[in-house]
Amino acid sequence: MALQAHSYHMVDPSPWPILGAAAALLTTSGLTMWFHYNSPRLLILGLISTALVMFQWWRDIVRESTFQGHHTPTVQKGLRYGMALFITSEAFFFLGFFWAFFHSSLAPTPELGGQWPPVGIKPLNPMEVPLLNTTILLASGITVTWAHHSITEANRKQAIQALLLTVLLGLYFTALQAMEYYEAPFSIADGVYGSTFFVATGFHGLHVIIGTMFLLVCLLRLIKYHFTSSHHFGFEAAAWYWHFVDVVWLFLYISIYWWGS
Amino acid sequence: VYCLFQALRQISQRTISTASRRLVNRVSENQKLFQEDNGLPVHLKGGAKDSLLYRTTAGLTLFGTMYAVYYLLVSSMPKKPN
Repeated sequence: MALQAHSYHMVDPSPWPILGAAAALLTTSGLTMWFHYNSPRLLILGLISTALVMFQWWRDIVRESTFQGHHTPTVQKGLRYGMALFITSEAFFFLGFFWAFFHSSLAPTPELGGQWPPVGIKPLNPMEVPLLNTTILLASGITVTWAHHSITEANRKQAIQALLLTVLLGLYFTALQAMEYYEAPFSIADGVYGSTFFVATGFHGLHVIIGTMFLLVCLLRLIKYHFTSSHHFGFEAAAWYWHFVDVVWLFLYISIYWWGS
Repeated sequence: VYCLFQALRQISQRTISTASRRLVNRVSENQKLFQEDNGLPVHLKGGAKDSLLYRTTAGLTLFGTMYAVYYLLVSSMPKKPN
């Protein structure tokens, strides 16, 4: 067994990067086949292979860290930088959609009736389900912080309770938002209002689902004793992501739901 | 409603404590398995299930890539008018 004179992680050769790239090819060309030739087969194949690669790649990272001990403080520092940079890139992604919203809403064109919301659009009441959704996400931010404190204090029972509650709140948000989408009196095809509303809130909802799944994986790992009170970066990364999702919602709520109504 | 909430709380607390009693800490077993000096890369080190899953993933992806390239070639060729 070779010994290393440094604290970095020299990974074993892995098939997941190239298979992941191929899966991305299948997913994107699958979208084209679906849009232009009405065939979802390639897209389904792409989504399944993406899911398989994700599962195995992250499974391997858990093996490398929890079971093989490769995540030294140096490695962890790199992972922290990586997660922070990734979340920053996601913030810029959402910034673009907010730009689009303000571009159209600050100076509404004559085609919209010179007003925002445009003529004929009945916006959702921000004091109803959207306000409930705001309280749900704020509460989930509190419960995820409670979970973190419980982990650092080695309180297993409370950590599991708090993280479970966080996941449930995330699912509740998604269910309510799905119902709102179904019941909304306007659709994505309703001009620039519909486009900006559904693309911005839609991508946010996708991030809520991703964040919920990340937290769920952390819950399963927490139950399986993977985290210690001083080393639980996977959980911290999930918590950072979750707070980011919460903040994006607050911006969405204030600008699109409230100011934009 | 408060009684319902309390009942839910009790059930979930009992379920969680039962589940965690059934779950034994297998981290040290897994540490032994994945640190075994058998030269296997981490993506295959878990055993036969790993190889099966890997071969399925690689197979699907390879087939899909060939399918995608085929349709790319087909759709980039002009249609012959009859």
